[in-house]
Amino acid sequence: MAIITRPLFFLILIFTSVSSFAALPTAVKGEKLPSLAPLIKEVSPAVVNISVSGASLNQGAQRFSGLGSGVIIDADKGYIITNYHVIEKANQITISLVSGHQYKAKVIGQDPQSDIALLQIQSDRPLVAIKFSDSDKLQVGDFTIAIGNPFGLGQTVTSGIVSALGRSGLNLQNLENYIQTDAAINSGNSGGALLNLNGELIGINTAILGPNGGNIGIAFAIPANMVKNLTQQLLEFGEIRRGILGIKGGEVTPDLAKSFDLEVTHGAFIYQVTPNSAADKAGLKAGDVITAVNGTPIKSFSALRAKIGTLSAGKEVSLQAIQDNKSKTIKVVLGGNTTASNHSVLPVVFEGATLSDSETNQRFVGVNVVKVSPNSMADRIGLMQGDVIIAINRTRISNQEQLITAYKNIKSMRALNIMRNNRPIYLMLD
Amino acid sequence: MKPILWGILLGAIFILTPKIYKSATDKTSYLPAIISYSEAVKKSAPAVVNIYSQQYIDSSVGTKQQLQPTGLGSGIILDKRGFILTNYHVISQADQILIALQDGRLFTATVVGSDQITDLTVLHIDGEDLPVIPQNPNYTPEVGDAVLAIGNPYNLGQTITQGIISATGRGGLSATGRQDFIQTDAAINEGNSGGALINSRGELVGINTSEFHTGAQNVTYGISFAIPYQLANHVMQSLIKYGRVIRGSLGIQAENLDPLLARLWGLEAKNSIIVKSISDGGPAQKAGMRKNDIILKVDGQDAVNLIVTMDKIAKITPGTKTKITVLRSGKEKELEVVIGEFQG
Repeated sequence: MAIITRPLFFLILIFTSVSSFAALPTAVKGEKLPSLAPLIKEVSPAVVNISVSGASLNQGAQRFSGLGSGVIIDADKGYIITNYHVIEKANQITISLVSGHQYKAKVIGQDPQSDIALLQIQSDRPLVAIKFSDSDKLQVGDFTIAIGNPFGLGQTVTSGIVSALGRSGLNLQNLENYIQTDAAINSGNSGGALLNLNGELIGINTAILGPNGGNIGIAFAIPANMVKNLTQQLLEFGEIRRGILGIKGGEVTPDLAKSFDLEVTHGAFIYQVTPNSAADKAGLKAGDVITAVNGTPIKSFSALRAKIGTLSAGKEVSLQAIQDNKSKTIKVVLGGNTTASNHSVLPVVFEGATLSDSETNQRFVGVNVVKVSPNSMADRIGLMQGDVIIAINRTRISNQEQLITAYKNIKSMRALNIMRNNRPIYLMLD
Repeated sequence: MKPILWGILLGAIFILTPKIYKSATDKTSYLPAIISYSEAVKKSAPAVVNIYSQQYIDSSVGTKQQLQPTGLGSGIILDKRGFILTNYHVISQADQILIALQDGRLFTATVVGSDQITDLTVLHIDGEDLPVIPQNPNYTPEVGDAVLAIGNPYNLGQTITQGIISATGRGGLSATGRQDFIQTDAAINEGNSGGALINSRGELVGINTSEFHTGAQNVTYGISFAIPYQLANHVMQSLIKYGRVIRGSLGIQAENLDPLLARLWGLEAKNSIIVKSISDGGPAQKAGMRKNDIILKVDGQDAVNLIVTMDKIAKITPGTKTKITVLRSGKEKELEVVIGEFQG
């Protein structure tokens, strides 16, 4: 009997030691130690190094060069996604693959507000693309792998976990709904991939928080779903046609929840609904609380703003909202960029001004200043109620869209040409 | 009987093991064990709170004082009666302490008691259905254990970072050597102080503290410290019960005896400690202890080194008669000391 029981005892020893270590993520005693190496081998060719060079207009045509990372998202067409800030102002963009091959890339589209840019390379050799994961399914505590090119060292793989989700507030003008991770991400990692343990893209590494510019375990990535929406729009239109809901709002605070007798403590509280906007048409009202977008719960107003802002105009979204103390599902077809309610794409100098396109029978064609809030940016630059903006520098404009385009195209000193009391005036900006 | 028992055991194992290996059969997953810490996070993260301390500061206009937020930290709910453990340095300057739970609830906290030696403070809030962090008194931290740090760095909002235990800590109570706490490479930053270090099952391992590396010239990342749970819990229970931590004291200053020196002096080379000074009127002086006495035994146990011995004495209730064996002029001598209370 002794001969039989000994092997059994041995077996039991193995099994019990395995089960007692099952709670640990990596170490499995007696088993081959797990490694990320096989996964990295598969996905690393999809992460590229980006080097840019150009001349900065601000500093007297000074030459500059920069480094970053990018992710191949379409192997056949050679599409590469990266951060806008990596390729901003670049004249020349060079992509280096892990294999050592180099390519010149062209910019297909870019969006400063969400910090995303889409590039393309032409390659005869087969490329490897990364698969997207559904980043809405991420949970705090999930493992993450960051691949990028920190400090131009060459491709570097670091690991961590999801530290938090729906982070915003780093730069108020931007659309932010970041994944926060403690994987080491440094300068040069920007535009690189944040992956899950299946090697699928969960985010594009974009920003870090660190007192000395180095990693302290706090880094931020743009979620893959947001990247996907933006990429589709950049491919389709070459630009982002932001969906507009037509609401103003803020966070649901515990105090607000108490005074409005709300059962939720997280969500986006609607202060105001713009008349005739998408939200108005769908029946949303001031006082409602939006708690989910397309089935995914949202924590804050900035999360809602980032979600809507990355969906294109004309898209139907399903919102979960609390209206009159009842939870409702409301379908909204997002509005486009043409209405006066759209403040988000107007340059900052017009902050506080209510603008409208001029009527056809008006004496001066341009953009009417309907109202200026005291102490706002618009007030400070000298805009007044009743002004008609007719040109920027020498570029004539007839509506807000042209105003925005003209503003963006002029990189040097800008001056607004305004008709006030039937007399032309120039207001200096910058 | 034995073979039958083995058979039953083996059967049970065969039934149970597929659950453990389920993820290994999934071809899309590369790791055989768990692939996320989300379960551990869900269990423990709600019990980690944000702490904002406010101070009265002279306003620039007139002499009116205003409450202004001055400090940021984290805390852990360890008891459903509303007891919260945090670092002393998080609230030491506060005139008002605000506690924010992850579900959005906001409380004003009262201080139950503080212990500056371990840098711990117990706060109290009045709340219902408070989330409590899972605790396992039988868990012993070991180097290499996977750990997660939970806190509110730079007031970003709750953040989870991961790492391993880089070095284990000592659970001792005495004032010496607090750098011996649990060391981890999980990122712990300003605002994480007082937050939780948990293991992969969500159980509390220690209380994070960022204090140790602030003020250092070269800020190093990947080296952070936490106060071991066992010690923290002992301190908390003592603070709740007595309002202070009661530590036994001998009233001496001592050093580890250099073995080489001991041999030069012709002593039996042993790990022991030597008395360098004795406080006037202290317990040791009353018992007749003298400078340069070598302490060999405390309460019948060898005095192996200073830290272990001081920890042992700190645990003795003041007033207890304790036998201490010393070596004086080559002769062993037994003294009976009435242990006093340590005055911080």
